[in-house]
Amino acid sequence: MTVTTSASASVMPFSLGYGTNGFADHPLPVVLELLAEQGYDAVALTLGHPHLDPFAEDLDAQLLSLRGLLDELGLRVVIETGTRFLLDPRHKHRPALVDEEAAARVAFLRRAVDIAATLQAECVSFFSGVLPADTTPEAGWQRLTSRVVDIVEYARGKNVLVAIEPEPGMLVETVSDVLRLRAELGDPDNLRVTVDIGHCVVVEPAGVRGALLQAGPLLANVQLDDMRPHIHEHLPFGEGTVDLPLALATLAELGYRGVAAVELPRHSHDAPGLAARSIDALRAGWEASGTMRESERWLRESTAAVVADPGTLNRIFATAGRRVGRSPLRPDADPTGVLFGTISDNARGKLVGRLGELLPPDELAEALLTLYNGGDSAERRGVLKGLGALATSSPKLPVVVVSAGLRLTAEALRTSESGIVAAAVGPFAAAYLDQHNWRHAVLKLVFMDISVSAVTDLRERADDELARMAGDFASERSAAGRSIPDDVHLLLRSSSSYSTPS
Amino acid sequence: MRIFDPHIHMTSRTTNDYEALYASGVRALVEPAFWSGQPRTNVGSFIDYFDSLLGWERFRAAQFGIRHHATIALNPKESNDPRCVPVLDEIPRYLVKEGVVAIGEIGYDSITPAEDEAFSRQLELAREYSLPAMVHTPHREKLTGTRRTLDVVRESGVVPGMVVVDHLNETNVEMVKDAGAWMGFSIYPDTKMDEHRMVAILRSYGTERVLVNSAADWGRSDPLKTLSTANAMLAAGFTTDDVDKVLWRNPVEFYGQSGQLILDPIPGFDAAEPPDAAAGFEGNSVLRGARV
Repeated sequence: MTVTTSASASVMPFSLGYGTNGFADHPLPVVLELLAEQGYDAVALTLGHPHLDPFAEDLDAQLLSLRGLLDELGLRVVIETGTRFLLDPRHKHRPALVDEEAAARVAFLRRAVDIAATLQAECVSFFSGVLPADTTPEAGWQRLTSRVVDIVEYARGKNVLVAIEPEPGMLVETVSDVLRLRAELGDPDNLRVTVDIGHCVVVEPAGVRGALLQAGPLLANVQLDDMRPHIHEHLPFGEGTVDLPLALATLAELGYRGVAAVELPRHSHDAPGLAARSIDALRAGWEASGTMRESERWLRESTAAVVADPGTLNRIFATAGRRVGRSPLRPDADPTGVLFGTISDNARGKLVGRLGELLPPDELAEALLTLYNGGDSAERRGVLKGLGALATSSPKLPVVVVSAGLRLTAEALRTSESGIVAAAVGPFAAAYLDQHNWRHAVLKLVFMDISVSAVTDLRERADDELARMAGDFASERSAAGRSIPDDVHLLLRSSSSYSTPS
Repeated sequence: MRIFDPHIHMTSRTTNDYEALYASGVRALVEPAFWSGQPRTNVGSFIDYFDSLLGWERFRAAQFGIRHHATIALNPKESNDPRCVPVLDEIPRYLVKEGVVAIGEIGYDSITPAEDEAFSRQLELAREYSLPAMVHTPHREKLTGTRRTLDVVRESGVVPGMVVVDHLNETNVEMVKDAGAWMGFSIYPDTKMDEHRMVAILRSYGTERVLVNSAADWGRSDPLKTLSTANAMLAAGFTTDDVDKVLWRNPVEFYGQSGQLILDPIPGFDAAEPPDAAAGFEGNSVLRGARV
């Protein structure tokens, strides 16, 4: 019997760590023991108060004993330099590399390189700094590049990698900025990139996956945390919008073998609990990413197989669920998978999206009809998802493809299967379904007790006529003494000014 | 108690039946493709029927917490109509679909050359697609039909363990058991087999390779005959483990050979519990002597 999917558990190619800046109330040796005990393989060591004074007189002796403890516990280490008041007790993170005067910062980073060399750390991570109010970006960039050259040169002599971390609000804010800086310096081999996955939802245009892929082989250090868009606040996993499984799957796809450490510098009050919950969340995220990685693999293999022999498409499409699994795509928001589909719906949809790049329009239209007509309910949902993928990736689909898509959408909307109806009101219907049939589709969802959150561009396309239909529906329900679904109120309010009459 | 009905035609039943099945512990079933009462006259009629087994009926069952699987075939009766036979060319594409757990119902109705031909071709498909075969035995001439069925299976090269021969009774059970095939029994209100005769057969032949089904359809039949057989077994001294074997583990083992069973609970519904070895029948232990 096949109860499980073939996406088997595998070992993370990278090491999970935790940042010591999230353990400000524990002595360093205790932090390391706690982390090892909880299953971490690495530590991100922030230099400075309270754990390791980089300018201590007995620094060498401290490093020797620290190296011994790291060996004993089997921990890898990266050096972090984001200590808030190390160099200036009155001004956070000052002086910065973009300030007029930054000798103390450069000296500190050189010291960090020395420490990394002694500890055989994976890298030294640093950031650019917030541009002072009176400084132009050009002047700041000038200062930054000259100082980074110094640090990179110094680190090269010590055989140490340095990784610059884009920070929201700083001069180097995105991976693109790092790549530009690096290019200006002639792409020095030991200048790499740190990516904080939380920052990605705040500043990275292509999101976490895009940023990680952009950093690619230059990725030398990763910070893990959750975050909400627009607010640079490091949150425990699950409290923000970071797609953790996607981030972990992308790291695996890149073959990243470095350290990925949890970065929660404002949570020391609950550090041991948070470290335990974080590693649980990371393990669960990794498990979920296994399904995702299996889907990606299936997609690559299937695309290649169909290119080699188009005759294999029907069978590949039919057996997708057995390869990638059938659980809901977004189990928290949609436990039955009706609204947003299942993992296999999604994989099939992506495959259809790929066909759009591979097949001429006539053959694509023919394939859509064949897959839908010959498919069971899951395959039909996959074709409908695929229409959405095609509509999303191309601003104007060929007429023959639109015509096939409309025929299938109409057929799907005639069924009474909730998952099929929900899959038929996605991006393709939003772009191509006429207003009359689109309104009926929305009302049908309400009638079938399916959330209208399944509808793409509901707000953009809702009109007064839809509001009227929703009002009549509400009256009918009231007359029958039945409750009125919340979605009806939403439709009554949401009428806008969609311009196409019919 | 958890029950798997290995042969029931839900297309012909109401949602009340689904509710009653769930309440009785039925969490999974197999719906074999068969005759629909009114003869079909073209291939398209089969296609829509097969599609509805894998589409609407599976959806309908899921609404009531039951995992629905299907077997696909040209049935023996309609393999005699040349307008229907070309559906054999369409069957392979259904055999790779999710939840298609066997080829069936195949076998004999009137034991004609056309039935011979369709039966052999579909046994070949079972072999080619590594699927079990679900074989119906005729209403008339059951003994002759069963003997011939077993001969054809033997000649086909299909492993007997991949075949269930269904609708058996006292007269033909032994030859099926000896052939190494699975023995299917359809418990009906007044034809085929009843609960008490079934219990007697289980006493004589044991619980190995036995499948008990309701075969409920549009005729006079009762979808809860699996449950009443379970109760009859318990009343006759069989253990809850015996009942679990016959009514859950055996069908899971047989149809599981397809690699196509999906048995995790439908989201929002509970799994039925496997038997608690310590519990008795209605609070009164019917166990005798030491447990082994």
